[in-house]
Amino acid sequence: MASPIRILTAVPICDGHDSAINTINLEFIRHGIEVVYLGYHRSVGDIVRAAIQEDVRAIGISSYNGGHIEFFAEVVALLREKGAADIKVFGGGGGTITHEDAAMMRRKGVDEIFFAGTSLDEMVKFVHQRYGKPRAKRARAKSSDIELAHKLTEIEDKKKIRNSKFGIRNSCKTRVIGFTGPGGAGKTTLIDELVLRFLNKDRQSRVAILSHDPSVIGEGALLGDRATMINSQNDRVFMRSMATRGQAGGLSPATHDCLALLARSGFDYVIIETVGTGQEAMPFQKNGIVDQTVLVMNPDYGSRLQLQKIVMLDLADIVVVNKSDLQRARTAHTEIEQRLEQNRRAQCLIDTVAKRHRDSGVDKLFGLISTSDKSKRGKERKSHEQARTGR
Amino acid sequence: MSKLGQVVESVETYNQFVLDQVKRARSDEKFGRDLLGRWNDIKAKIPTTRAPTGLPLPRLALPEIDEPGEIARFLLGEGLPGEFPFLNGAYREMYLEPVREVESFEKDGETKKSKTDKKIPQAEEPTRLFSGLMLAEDTNERFHYLTRHQRTHRLSTAFDGPTLYGIDSDADGVFGKIGEGGVAIDTVEDMVRLYDGFDLGSANFSASMTISGPAPIIMAMYIAAAKRRFGPSVVPKLRGTIQADIFKEVQAQNETIFPIEPSLRFLTDMVEFTTREMPRWYPISISGYHIGEAGSTPVQQAAYTLSNGFAYAEMFAARGIPVDQFGPRLSFFLDCGLDVEYIALARVSRRIWAIGMRDVFGAGPKAQLYKLHTQTSGRSLIAAEFKNNLTRTAAELILAYMNATNSCHSNSADEPFTTPSEEWIRLAAHGQAILLEESGIFKHTMNMLSGSPGMKAVERAVEAAILEEFREIERLGGVLAAVEDRYQRSQIQNASHRYEQQINDGVRPIIGLNRYRNGSDDMPEVKLARTPRKKQQLQVERLAKFKKKNADKSKRALDKLAAAVESGKNCFPELLEAVEVCSLGQITGRLQEVVGRFRPMV
Repeated sequence: MASPIRILTAVPICDGHDSAINTINLEFIRHGIEVVYLGYHRSVGDIVRAAIQEDVRAIGISSYNGGHIEFFAEVVALLREKGAADIKVFGGGGGTITHEDAAMMRRKGVDEIFFAGTSLDEMVKFVHQRYGKPRAKRARAKSSDIELAHKLTEIEDKKKIRNSKFGIRNSCKTRVIGFTGPGGAGKTTLIDELVLRFLNKDRQSRVAILSHDPSVIGEGALLGDRATMINSQNDRVFMRSMATRGQAGGLSPATHDCLALLARSGFDYVIIETVGTGQEAMPFQKNGIVDQTVLVMNPDYGSRLQLQKIVMLDLADIVVVNKSDLQRARTAHTEIEQRLEQNRRAQCLIDTVAKRHRDSGVDKLFGLISTSDKSKRGKERKSHEQARTGR
Repeated sequence: MSKLGQVVESVETYNQFVLDQVKRARSDEKFGRDLLGRWNDIKAKIPTTRAPTGLPLPRLALPEIDEPGEIARFLLGEGLPGEFPFLNGAYREMYLEPVREVESFEKDGETKKSKTDKKIPQAEEPTRLFSGLMLAEDTNERFHYLTRHQRTHRLSTAFDGPTLYGIDSDADGVFGKIGEGGVAIDTVEDMVRLYDGFDLGSANFSASMTISGPAPIIMAMYIAAAKRRFGPSVVPKLRGTIQADIFKEVQAQNETIFPIEPSLRFLTDMVEFTTREMPRWYPISISGYHIGEAGSTPVQQAAYTLSNGFAYAEMFAARGIPVDQFGPRLSFFLDCGLDVEYIALARVSRRIWAIGMRDVFGAGPKAQLYKLHTQTSGRSLIAAEFKNNLTRTAAELILAYMNATNSCHSNSADEPFTTPSEEWIRLAAHGQAILLEESGIFKHTMNMLSGSPGMKAVERAVEAAILEEFREIERLGGVLAAVEDRYQRSQIQNASHRYEQQINDGVRPIIGLNRYRNGSDDMPEVKLARTPRKKQQLQVERLAKFKKKNADKSKRALDKLAAAVESGKNCFPELLEAVEVCSLGQITGRLQEVVGRFRPMV
């Protein structure tokens, strides 16, 4: 079976009209399309960067606040400038885009503009017909980010199986950190806050993020993490969103190979985020897949007994109780602390409020994962392995 | 229990109180007699007026009841217009023309011009015009054009995208958006140009500004601009409204620039200032309009608007502002579409607000009023066969005035395409004049269309549904907790999705779109108001000049502002200083460094 079509959707800068695009996104994923949703109020630079990193076939822009002629044209022009002209642009804006505007926009390189009254079916059909054909042989990439993005696509679409060829081991400077935990615990927000700290720590380091969202059974996927990540839209951050494409356990069939590639690509930090996981999940158990694992918990996990069943509580290096401003958080901290004591290893427990600007808990977590102290890291890994063999 | 839970209880208690009084009126003979006496008294005092044809009509229409129980049900359950719980209207008389006296028709029914000039005090002209385009001087010109025949100047201002998001016209990627959909404001100098030629301190002038995310900054710019033109003594005389509704931005409109808590703190700082220094200003317009436009059901719109209002009241009271000071300065803004709920949506809202404010917040009569501005539904207007939009808007106007809205804006038929053009704005304004001045529906008799059995049925159903929404929000921990939990947002999105699906499936008829379609997909010719590149360039150049001129001073002002924000004190005075030398984007950027940026909810 052919791989799903990947597209990116967004609403332009200074425009908060996301009602139409939300409806369209849902229709797309119901019809087998993987949609990377970037959200509203997004600049040309953010849109083009994301489209390149995600290596989508096309960008769909929903514009209701005017200025569409300039905006669409700038997206097309910037794609060309960056050497990503194979990423196409389409969109709509209800009645705000006239036929004359649309004609001008097409002349400037936009594939299609949908007018008011276009049915959802027509849009789905358009995407399938226009962007569903296999890609032609791709030209040599103009930048390292484009090259990386293309390779990730090849791995994900199983054109090249790299599993056997590459161990995951990264260059010594790259640090791979895995984030997992139940859905809604705040993993994405936490990662985005950590990215802000990575970026502020020095002026050169680069971060890669490999983020996962579930595929609808047999259909598309809404890859929406970028929409809430305000700090990670940055040239020093390379982010890739992956759909699980039928695999259970929080990751995609191609995750391991994609991660191996990212770990060899010169980033200082590689962050991998699983989908929201269940109690039995242990997504990072493949040998050496990450240096450090962080389990992000919500204070609302149910009864104390539930904690005994969460496998990751045995395996994680760091356990974070996010949303620690909730009433239940103190109880949660105490109960999880006791649960971790059974393991008799140096696991850290941290309380955070990721939604809060400059949260001290997030600062503390950042201190733990950004440390370059190799001896400490080695020890951590050792204890990690011991814990594993102990099971 | 949060205040919202108490509101639910207070409404239930009040409804029970009304039922008890109905019973008492029937069993307690003296009580019943007194009620009947009062009722007859009220009826006796109603003046008679005449239609232009000579037909005599009472100035106030009342239900035809003469049984004490029913009288109690009406007087206590609904209230006369202008009386608690204000179901029939916030004021005693609205929209009415001066009384035409009987004698005027004596000779052969011919109208004599006389005696009718006795001015009946009317709250104010209910018509509002919304405008904003290109640069400040262009909008200023439009304002002068729109108000050239009006006694009172009530200017409603729309801002362009960059301004609404608190960024400057020179920000990355906003070229093309400058002056689109509203006026571009970067600095206090733009604000001076915007209202040039209008007497900002006059009782006949008021400015309304539709902006929420950066509202405190824009408010400070308005005050600074007024001071530049008229001196500091103008400040207590300023009249107008600024939208400043953060909750609805997070729930529906997505123009939020700071995280919720600091946004609310900046708002409260501003409200504390205006309540004290600008007693005629409305510092917040609690808006359901955008919730409705984002696709909510009418009940969701009313319920979220009311509950947001109660949450603001709780917040302002917690800051120590007396409820009788801020209460009368709160105003509301609702959408009016074509769904049946709109027959009574605002009526019910007014009643719940009055009961909640009186019985939960201890508000006096002036702070109980749900003062309402209505706008007809932009969402109901479509591009296909767009002239039908005139009819849609006309029907919505009737519904809005049936709800005794205090003021109303009628949308232009070309709204689906662009910022309305002059021709269609004029037709929209005339639509209101035709309804209120030409037609006899509202100008002779107060309560002309109130109280039909169908309206009462809708009232009961809508009130029950609103209270149920309140209970759900209460279960989630109150308004702020529910907002952070995306409750209202997801409910609105769900309703919007269902609405689109219904149109798609044809179960929700939209004439000219999914029913009686013309066949041709041609877009009608509409003259678009686009901002020429040259003008956009001019705005960018002006801003550069301003920034250069104030380079040193702005840094100091921003440092001082940041320190005030860090200290936790009311930072509005520092904001007032900062706008003198800093642009909107400079201020937003610095504040975001201190309090963070808003993280979108999807």
